[in-house]
Amino acid sequence: MKREEWIGLYLRTHRFRFVLVIFLGLLTAGCASGLMFTSGYLISKASLRPENILMVYVPIVLVRAFGIGRAAVHYTERLVGHDTVLRILARMRVRLYRMLEPQALFIRSRYRTGDILGTLADDVEHLQDVYVRTIFPVSTAVVMYVLWVAFVGRFDLSFALLMALYLVILILVLPSVSLWITYRKRKQMKRGRNRLYQKLTDAVLGLSDWVISGRSQNFVQSYEADEAKVTSVENSLHRWINFRTFLGHLVVGVLVILTAGWAGQQFADGKLEGTLIAAFVLVIFPLMDVFLPISEAVERIPQYEDSLERIHSLRGMDSEALSAECKVSDQVLEEAQKQAHIRLENVSYRYEASDERSVSDLSLDIAQGKKVAVIGRSGAGKSTLLKLIQGVIVPEQGKATINGVSVDQFGSDIPKVIAVLNQRPHLFDTTVANNIRLGKPEATGEEIRKVAKQVKLDQLIESLPLGYDTPMLETGDRFSGGERQRIALARILLQDTPVVILDEPTVGLDPRTERDLLQTVFQTIQGKTLIWITHHLVGVEQMDEVVFIEDGRIEMRGSHEELLKKVPRYCHLYHLDRPILTDI
Amino acid sequence: MDRNLLKLPGVKFLLLELAFLTVIQSVSIILAATWLAKVITALFSGEPLQEQFLKMGLFLLAFLFRYGAASFQQRLAYRFAERTGTDVRKRLMDKLFQYGPRFAKAEGTGNLVTLVLEGVTQFRTYLELFLPRMISTAITPALIVIYVFTLDIMSGVILVVTMPILIGFLILIGLAARKHTEKQLKSFRVLSNHFVDSLRGLETLKFLGQSRQHSEAIGEVSHKYRAATMRTLRVAFLSSFALELFTMLSVASVAVNLGFRLIDGDMSLLPALTVLILAPEYFLPVQMMGVDYHATLNGKEAGKSIQSIINRQEEETGSSELPAAFAWTDKSILKLSSIGVQYEKEGQLSLEHVSIEIQGTGKIGIIGESGAGKSTLIDVLAGFRNPSSGEIILDGIRQQSLTNDAWRKETTYIPQHPYLFNVSLSENIRFYKPDATDEEVKRAVSAAGLSSLVERLPNGLDELIGNGGRQLSGGQEQRVALARVFLSARPILLLDEPTAHLDIETEYELKETMLRLFENKLVFFATHRLHWMPHMDRIIVLDKGKVAETGTHQELVAHKGVYYRLLTAQREGII
Repeated sequence: MKREEWIGLYLRTHRFRFVLVIFLGLLTAGCASGLMFTSGYLISKASLRPENILMVYVPIVLVRAFGIGRAAVHYTERLVGHDTVLRILARMRVRLYRMLEPQALFIRSRYRTGDILGTLADDVEHLQDVYVRTIFPVSTAVVMYVLWVAFVGRFDLSFALLMALYLVILILVLPSVSLWITYRKRKQMKRGRNRLYQKLTDAVLGLSDWVISGRSQNFVQSYEADEAKVTSVENSLHRWINFRTFLGHLVVGVLVILTAGWAGQQFADGKLEGTLIAAFVLVIFPLMDVFLPISEAVERIPQYEDSLERIHSLRGMDSEALSAECKVSDQVLEEAQKQAHIRLENVSYRYEASDERSVSDLSLDIAQGKKVAVIGRSGAGKSTLLKLIQGVIVPEQGKATINGVSVDQFGSDIPKVIAVLNQRPHLFDTTVANNIRLGKPEATGEEIRKVAKQVKLDQLIESLPLGYDTPMLETGDRFSGGERQRIALARILLQDTPVVILDEPTVGLDPRTERDLLQTVFQTIQGKTLIWITHHLVGVEQMDEVVFIEDGRIEMRGSHEELLKKVPRYCHLYHLDRPILTDI
Repeated sequence: MDRNLLKLPGVKFLLLELAFLTVIQSVSIILAATWLAKVITALFSGEPLQEQFLKMGLFLLAFLFRYGAASFQQRLAYRFAERTGTDVRKRLMDKLFQYGPRFAKAEGTGNLVTLVLEGVTQFRTYLELFLPRMISTAITPALIVIYVFTLDIMSGVILVVTMPILIGFLILIGLAARKHTEKQLKSFRVLSNHFVDSLRGLETLKFLGQSRQHSEAIGEVSHKYRAATMRTLRVAFLSSFALELFTMLSVASVAVNLGFRLIDGDMSLLPALTVLILAPEYFLPVQMMGVDYHATLNGKEAGKSIQSIINRQEEETGSSELPAAFAWTDKSILKLSSIGVQYEKEGQLSLEHVSIEIQGTGKIGIIGESGAGKSTLIDVLAGFRNPSSGEIILDGIRQQSLTNDAWRKETTYIPQHPYLFNVSLSENIRFYKPDATDEEVKRAVSAAGLSSLVERLPNGLDELIGNGGRQLSGGQEQRVALARVFLSARPILLLDEPTAHLDIETEYELKETMLRLFENKLVFFATHRLHWMPHMDRIIVLDKGKVAETGTHQELVAHKGVYYRLLTAQREGII
């Protein structure tokens, strides 16, 4: 079923191209076979020394035509094949993207480890091989088989039957046996290699510990032992493939003799022209070049399965993602774009029925323009709180509203009301200007320069040789962590929403860069609502309210001055960030 | 051909074996062709089938001999590639551990892992394919064409003339293709990365409200990518087109030419048929070389990168005279004398003339702005990096660096993100001391404040953590690292920004545990969190790679120098 959905579908939608590719494949094989067939015929005929050269004129022309034709047709076949597959790839990519898009905000929490998105992109890429390396050659070979048997049948039906049965060894028996033998081994090898991959990544990431512990040699030994296991599987696989290749040639060798014997007997019986003996025998070699690779093409199947399974496992998730189809009226949206009053009333949420509540009975009232800092340990419920505010998840109990309208009603319009600057905003592999423009696709160059100036990057960008057209990636090192955040901030300024969420944008920055960035943020978003998740207290003096969250509940809240006066614990924490000059 | 290949151990003997087998193979090809031609000629001239069985048998024998020899060749090449691959990998791994974490970071973890796994595999494929192909390209066509000359000079001439033309075209097309790809390499890279870039940026696109529309961009870019790829392929496939065209044309010319001479009666059928059967075999090795060209290309490149790491000029580790039984005691003295560190030649100095003297135990804070050289100093002390100048005197023994095991086994190191291996919690804690008893582990767990976590875990100390296991919070990760240190009881502890990423409450809770751990050890603590400094016995203030001042918190505050300025800067509010 799975294969059907990702592979069969495109066979149907692109069937004309497929037929064309297979037709060209047949023509290629036909030309190669034709060349040997007519050559054999030609010199046999010539050795009879016909009176007139015109007697061999047709074969001479054919020999030349097949010679040139084979190369030209093969060239065309490969181009058409790749073009078809690239068309399919484009469709697959869009399809995979559309599957992932609704669950964008959950991917990170679902797959904490590894680069699942990179892997998926690779998987789609790998599916190209299904067509180029397996489906095309196997289909061509099968059609060629039918045509060849039919051709022989025109001369001798019983030999055609024998040929048909005999070739089943190459077309079906050897590939099936080979698949059966190699399937488990290939899976074993792949698993083994994945383990090696993990083990080595683990070791390289923890290299400093291995080095200091003085136990590096232990690791190298245990790694080599694991490698040896994989190698031994690989070795037996190679032995089989080597043997299988030899078997294939044995089958060909016997077939050559059978054909020679048959043709000789037919000639002796007067049923076949003598000139065709050489033709029939010589054509076997190019013909078998079509049938011999089937085993290899089929053995590849286990390699595609993992990719297909991974892509398919995504489908289970999209039912969970919220349907973003609900819409608020234009009027409500317009109002919210000017003024958004966010209110959480006793909201609670848990991810799984069995889990503890991530957010529990929490209330917040954030009028337009208010600035709130949210502080808590990891796992305290901060990101759940943000998702509730964005309407990505709906509270189990209580209400989350903007201007009295339930937040989830805004659906995919929420980015018009709320902008987010998180820890690692993605900067795309395009120019600086395009990256900024993402906040407002129709923005003019003037607008982009204006926001760049606001985030204090104008001088830096203009000093680059290509200015705003500098590619982001190649200058990966030129833009520091703080500068990258500033580019993302410029994007948000263009997005121009009444509410801005800062989700720990300064983690990993040194204190001075952090201060400078925060200063710019506070200056540029005057008048907007600010919800700021932070891990320490630098800059909280600027906030109207500071909220401490623990276990999904609000533990303490108040303005900075209030907390400093009333809560000794807050005072303690504050002094970690503000060491006093004498002693602590 | 690659000169380095000839330096591989055992390669010359292998080449000899391959050459011997190739000769057997070529002779078998010629014999098989001759016997088959004889069978066909005999049948054509009306001899009875029964008399042909011996010749048929001989053909089959020669045919199988040919593929048997080929199979044997493949096996030999495979075994050699496997041996060499293992050897190369071992050396690569040794280097990796020798150069340590800074090297891994500079090269990129992903790149290194890919090089060890994929790179070595590609290199093996290269050896496995290239060596036999090279030998058979050198021997088989020559032997065949010599035999063809003995049968028919004209055909031999056609074959000989075609080969240089063919190779000439291959080179020309190869050059054109390279030029063509180079020209659009940049836009090509952007196009081909666009999809994965979009997926990785999906979250950001969603926040910006652009994620819906973006699927159209993906379709559009994919089509541009297709167009660009097709433009390149049109040129790239030309080389195999030329290869096939000339092969087929040459075979066709031989056939037509033979035909004419047969009509004229200058020639008989047997040699003509033999030549016709041999003609495609003459080109086969070159064709195979072309088919495998791309597979071997990657392997060749991988081999080069591996070699460049293995052969990397060993930075002078200054053979350590430190006795293996070296132990840091209260009386030990470590003296850094005018240490300088330069990452790249002619680059800026990360450390310059750093001289420090330290005796016995004590807590030493290392502070400064980012880029001042805090981490570099810790790296030198941990033995991750060789200083480019200056010397280190350890208990009177002069040495160039601290990158030796005798020193390392006295130290432990806690970075900002301590790495948790994907094994059980207790194995992670035992990392520095694998033979620690359960009792000792439990003590370390409670000393590091992990007891409550262990109680909550379903499998307690046996819970699998790290990538693929249970995820721990930043604070918990640090506590695991602290437990390692508690258990190892090594006298020297190096910390590089261990709390920078933690939330303030977690840091506050950790502080007590950490200060307890610091007692009776020599501690080097690099951080920009200044609240730790009053607890230090001595503070080294770095500024632009130089030691700006040293002293206790009180002394430095009174001095009103760099340290005082750092303090006041952090006290300023944000306007």
